[in-house]
Amino acid sequence: MSNSAIPSSTIPMEGSSVAEFSWEVRSPLDRALVAGPYGAQGDAGVALTEIRNFDLVQVMARRGKASEMAQAAQARFGVAAPETPKSIGTSDATLIWSGPDQFFVLSKGGKHSIEALAPGFAGSASLSDQSHARALISISGMKARTMLAKLSSIDLHPDVFGVGAAAATSMDHTSVTLWRGQDRGGQAVFNLLVFATFAESLWHTVLDSAAEYGVTISHSEEL
Amino acid sequence: MKYSIFSLARAALSGHKNWKPTWRDAAPKDRYDVIIIGGGGHGLATAWFLASEFGIRNVAVLEKGWIGSGNAGRNTTIIRSNYGLPGNTGFYELSMKLWEKMEQDLNYNAMVSQRGVLNLYHSDAQRDAFARRGNTMRINGIDAELLDQAALRKMLPFLNFDHARFPVQGGLLQRRGGTARHDAVVWGYAHAASELGVDIIQNCEVTGFTRDANGTVTGVETSRGKIGAGKVGMAVAGSSSRVAAMAGLRLPIESHVLQAFVSEAIKPLIPGVMTFGAGHFYVSQSDKGGLVFGGDIDGYNSYAQRGNLPVMEDVCEGGMALIPMIGRVRLLRQWGGIMDMSMDGSPIIDKSPVDGLYINAGWCYGGFKATPGSGFVFAHLLARDESHKEAALFRLDRFQRGAMIDEKGQGAQPNLH
Amino acid sequence: MRIVCPFCGERELGEFTYLGDAKPQRPAADAGEEAVYDYVYLRDNIAGVMNEHWYHGAGCRAWLKVTRNTLTHEISAVEPAAGAGAAKVGA
Ligand SMILES: Cc1cc2nc3c(=O)[nH]c(=O)nc-3n(C[C@H](O)[C@H](O)[C@H](O)COP(=O)(O)OP(=O)(O)OC[C@H]3O[C@@H](n4cnc5c(N)ncnc54)[C@H](O)[C@@H]3O)c2cc1C
Ligand SMILES: [Zn+2]
Repeated sequence: MSNSAIPSSTIPMEGSSVAEFSWEVRSPLDRALVAGPYGAQGDAGVALTEIRNFDLVQVMARRGKASEMAQAAQARFGVAAPETPKSIGTSDATLIWSGPDQFFVLSKGGKHSIEALAPGFAGSASLSDQSHARALISISGMKARTMLAKLSSIDLHPDVFGVGAAAATSMDHTSVTLWRGQDRGGQAVFNLLVFATFAESLWHTVLDSAAEYGVTISHSEEL
Repeated sequence: MKYSIFSLARAALSGHKNWKPTWRDAAPKDRYDVIIIGGGGHGLATAWFLASEFGIRNVAVLEKGWIGSGNAGRNTTIIRSNYGLPGNTGFYELSMKLWEKMEQDLNYNAMVSQRGVLNLYHSDAQRDAFARRGNTMRINGIDAELLDQAALRKMLPFLNFDHARFPVQGGLLQRRGGTARHDAVVWGYAHAASELGVDIIQNCEVTGFTRDANGTVTGVETSRGKIGAGKVGMAVAGSSSRVAAMAGLRLPIESHVLQAFVSEAIKPLIPGVMTFGAGHFYVSQSDKGGLVFGGDIDGYNSYAQRGNLPVMEDVCEGGMALIPMIGRVRLLRQWGGIMDMSMDGSPIIDKSPVDGLYINAGWCYGGFKATPGSGFVFAHLLARDESHKEAALFRLDRFQRGAMIDEKGQGAQPNLH
Repeated sequence: MRIVCPFCGERELGEFTYLGDAKPQRPAADAGEEAVYDYVYLRDNIAGVMNEHWYHGAGCRAWLKVTRNTLTHEISAVEPAAGAGAAKVGA
């Protein structure tokens, strides 16, 4: 989906029509995120990168159709969908467990958009498009784990929460989906999906928690 | 013993070593006219009113632990009569009037302190609701003042008035509300009741009821043997369902845990009692200087008399939102008590369906303020077999009749009241 | 108190909300007023081991059936409530 203004359809009402207006696609963190350094000076201990413009689809098995959904996922992605809290990477998508018999499909560029996924899961699962309902924050850096420990009650020790581990949990009273992506530059990467309307609030909490370690803030379109 | 300046001077001469216990720790007799189960504030107050107002002195209070070991000794000591619904408004004001003369009645210093209870509001809607409650109180002859922000800024300059989410806009103040020393209330009633011949029997747990062929209660079975009674009244707060079950009754009550907290002592800061209206946090300052505060019940059934961390966090967050500087104060102690949460948040003071058994229960987290009123109307019910007019709506069958007294409008979900 | 969610693992209490005793069953529509009164208002209010419904709202959003001692807070069993992970029901 592009960043350009999308004209809404004109809705006819009792012979007349409501005014044509347009929505602009913007990140929920558009206002709050200020790229650059933040907090303590010196080498930043925490890197916060907001990932923008992704496709996110939630897939939930219909009643009694868990195994059909699993088969459909296998056919679509060539791997089994996660049945326990973990994330599974494929060449062009990440499948993240989000609850019993449900998972997220995170991707870019429309290949696994809801329209693309719908035929394969017809009859076995209900899909809902979450692309604009969540913000995605990627957290890394030497102090990422220490910072997250202030916010999360989950044990993020590498022995417990390794690459691919995932959790549906809460931070600062806010529901989040947290998972550990592939290490980057030898460092752990923690990804955080949060409801769009809570994103700004959680963002400030994360900034407060990270400030003492020094932060570099950026946004990116790369998953 | 009678307390006076002379008894104090006399005791001082012997280095205060010769004070006698303030009540008799009695052994059970075979039979009493009335047995009260539960030596909390309500049970003891009931016994005292039976003896002093209704002339029934052959009374025993049976307490499974020591008197005041339950909620009477665990609460945050707030007294007020700022209720809005018929049934509650008059009853709590009756209780407030009894607080105002309690110390003289009992000849005991219960440290009743009418330092004011202030409920803060944070939105226009909340102000309207408070104005309505205040008007209800005034129509019923109870003091209430609606204060705006300017008045509060003078009174309590340290409040977080301009909080982005929960600005303090004003408050509903009842100046006659305040606090009382909870243990002293227990001891005062025990002292005065004992003087009039009431037997206070500790370490005496009621384990069952004795009943005649008609099913009428004729006494109780206890850890110290059977004791006969003309009538039995139960005032066991968080244990209400357990005791009622011994008579085969199920009650519209769940037992939940409520926590309270005390900070280290600081200089005088908080003049009265204050409640945060946007979360759940209430605070006063004890005479020793500690901040005494609390918030929501934990929200799950419990008889454990201790709570868990999420509510502690929630309470502290509420406190920080209202008074940011208390973040510097260290927490000294924290504890919990078992609340008899009724299905509409209001009490039950009624005959039970079992002849000879009377129920005083369902006080939720607010029964301390009710102590004298509850004792008085329960004694009235036990003595006369009819409800006092200020307790006439606290009937057990009101849930069946759809006559709930639901101050918060939460419905039958006790952990929300 | 921490609850071991059968789907998520051990979690802090703050992630869960409480419904209460799992025993009361909604009476049939024609069961009469007494049955409804009993269901809505009366409670066993057990002092001891109780089966309860908890909701893992800040986690996997599954309803759970928790066996817990109300005297000690000790949790002895946690299982999915009927209908949790809807797909499992009838599978
Ligand atoms: C943390 C906390 C804060 C609170 N704050 C306030 C407040 O600020 N203002 C307010 O108005 N209210 C408050 N309350 C509520 C108030 O304390 C109670 O509603 C009130 O004390 C209940 O009445 P009681 O004093 O008779 O109860 P209790 O003191 O609990 O008395 C009941 C007694 O019955 C005894 N008992 C139980 N079972 C048996 C048995 N089988 N045999 C013999 N004895 C038995 C118990 O041991 C207990 O001593 C608070 C409560 C708590 C826990
Ligand atoms: Zn879970």
